[in-house]
Amino acid sequence: MTRARHTAAFIAGRLASVVLTIAGATLLLFLMVRLVPGDFASVMLGPRATPELRAQIIHDMGLDRGLLEQLWLFASRAVTGNFGEDVVSHRPILDILLEVIPNTLELAFSALALALLIGIPIGVIAALKPGSWLDSGLALLSISFITTPTLVVSVVLFLIFAIGLHWLPVAGAGAPGDIVDRLQHLVLPSVALALGWVGYISRLIRAALLDTLAELHVRTLRAYGVSEYRIVGLYALKLALVPVVSILGIGLGDLIGSSVVVEIIFARPGIGSLIFNSIAQRNYPVVQTCVVFIVAFYIVANLVVDMINALLDPRIAAGQG
Amino acid sequence: MAISLRNLSVDYSLQQGTAHALRGVSLEIQEGEMLGLVGESGSGKSTVALALMGLLANNAQVTSGTATIEGKNFDLTKRNATAALRGRGMAMIFQDPMLSLNPVFTIGAQLCEVLRRRAPGSDRKTRVEMAQDALAKVKLSNPARRMNQYPHELSGGMRQRVVIAMALLSEPALLIADEPTTALDVTVEAQIMREIIGLRDRIGCAVLLITHSLGLVTEYCDAISVLYAGEKLESGTVEEVQRQPGHPYTRMLFDCEVPIDRQRHADASENRFTVIAGELPDPRLRPPGCIFNSRCDVSFEDCTTINPSDYPVRNDAGHSARCLRLRTP
Repeated sequence: MTRARHTAAFIAGRLASVVLTIAGATLLLFLMVRLVPGDFASVMLGPRATPELRAQIIHDMGLDRGLLEQLWLFASRAVTGNFGEDVVSHRPILDILLEVIPNTLELAFSALALALLIGIPIGVIAALKPGSWLDSGLALLSISFITTPTLVVSVVLFLIFAIGLHWLPVAGAGAPGDIVDRLQHLVLPSVALALGWVGYISRLIRAALLDTLAELHVRTLRAYGVSEYRIVGLYALKLALVPVVSILGIGLGDLIGSSVVVEIIFARPGIGSLIFNSIAQRNYPVVQTCVVFIVAFYIVANLVVDMINALLDPRIAAGQG
Repeated sequence: MAISLRNLSVDYSLQQGTAHALRGVSLEIQEGEMLGLVGESGSGKSTVALALMGLLANNAQVTSGTATIEGKNFDLTKRNATAALRGRGMAMIFQDPMLSLNPVFTIGAQLCEVLRRRAPGSDRKTRVEMAQDALAKVKLSNPARRMNQYPHELSGGMRQRVVIAMALLSEPALLIADEPTTALDVTVEAQIMREIIGLRDRIGCAVLLITHSLGLVTEYCDAISVLYAGEKLESGTVEEVQRQPGHPYTRMLFDCEVPIDRQRHADASENRFTVIAGELPDPRLRPPGCIFNSRCDVSFEDCTTINPSDYPVRNDAGHSARCLRLRTP
């Protein structure tokens, strides 16, 4: 069928662009790290390093080879999953990364889920009666959520629920394998991370819904007696989700960025705190690999976003969207 | 059972003031008949339809008006007075089929939604069968496949058939068709009108056809009402009104239609199209006297001061017009 062919072409096109984007971003990052003034060895070892030690480090990191050769080595190893060794602990960087990534993904996705679960209903309720006191109240609530920095939210939640009331654990990500313990450790950080997004999503959903409700197909449903709740909550919502999902794809980058703050405050192991500590140690290979991973995550997430939108709106897959 | 609308007046609050879109419009449609409501753009044709359906914009206010549908009376000044009739007693076909279906739901889903209301308690399978049957009745090719298609995969004419199928499924007593063929190719116009007539004959409902095309009215309608600047100027059977228009405006409208045997003029810029000179009066400020006075070619002194009431034309009970020249001295 033509529709199946359209969809296949759409997915293939998107996949090809994902591979190219990741490759391009990695190349850019590789060059940026090497174009920064000052060499790794002196930054890592300090001004009083012996020339022998400097030479050793430079050789270990492959910095004595030509730029193209370095690029080739980096790329050919990266393709096989070998990102080199951490110069401090001498462990493979991939191992370190794989240890902490689940924590960050748990945090990011639970925050995203919370934001959607709370934000969408708030937006729908606000759009049902625009201009009412309920709408204004929810607007105030959403805007205060958006404008309160994640840092402040984290500290306040931390002080009240962990230190003050002792309801939830103070720090860490919980014992591996103990799901209840891990969930308890997840609550405060994900709420802190989600709050701003609850505000964003509810405002976005409300605006997109009100736009959609002014369209003529809504009048058709009304003319045939479809209830306002079904119109808003089903027929208009599905259309209104498309722009919101697109913005979420972009917002995922912000979510990972904010998770650095949250992971540090709650002392959660994760990619955020790993980058933070690595920068403090001038451990550039680790930083570089982390950033490659974040870029890849971001691009794949946007691919997923496009797929979700193509599912929501068949015109996108047909190339008319 | 006849459908009637009495003394409908609608105001729109605009930034520049209150516009009186309709002033005391009354209509009557016999069961199984089609009434053509004609008028130029801005005459308030669509406002009549939306007021009946209760779908007016938020800045609109029905200041007077009652309707009798299926033997029940409705006070149209109350918001949502006819809400219970939507999708049951009344159905509507819209002007722009490209925009009147939800783009992210299948044709089948949207048809079945109508049935949730019309046939409550029916299971999904029955609804799908009924919807598919309706698509077949409006002569949409390959109905089983159409059920799973999205609106963007269908042409304008096909989409309008889908909306007609919706109307068919809701089995209304009154079907309102608001410029149903204006957005479509001329070649599709006749097909769509045929489906609307077919629907009327199948259900036996009354049809209100809103159009600016006198051609459609004379071809398909039983009765005609002429709307001008929010006021009804003439009504009667199509035959009577066409043979002897009671109002100068109606006569001028018929004169504007281009007869097919008229000699073609070599230079298009010197064409002999008849036009009605002048513009619609300001809807915020009604001039005294006859509303059509400023554009009328046969007006006289009284027309500027006396607002004519409805006078019978040629003593025909069903044919009346609001022109002082029909006054019996």
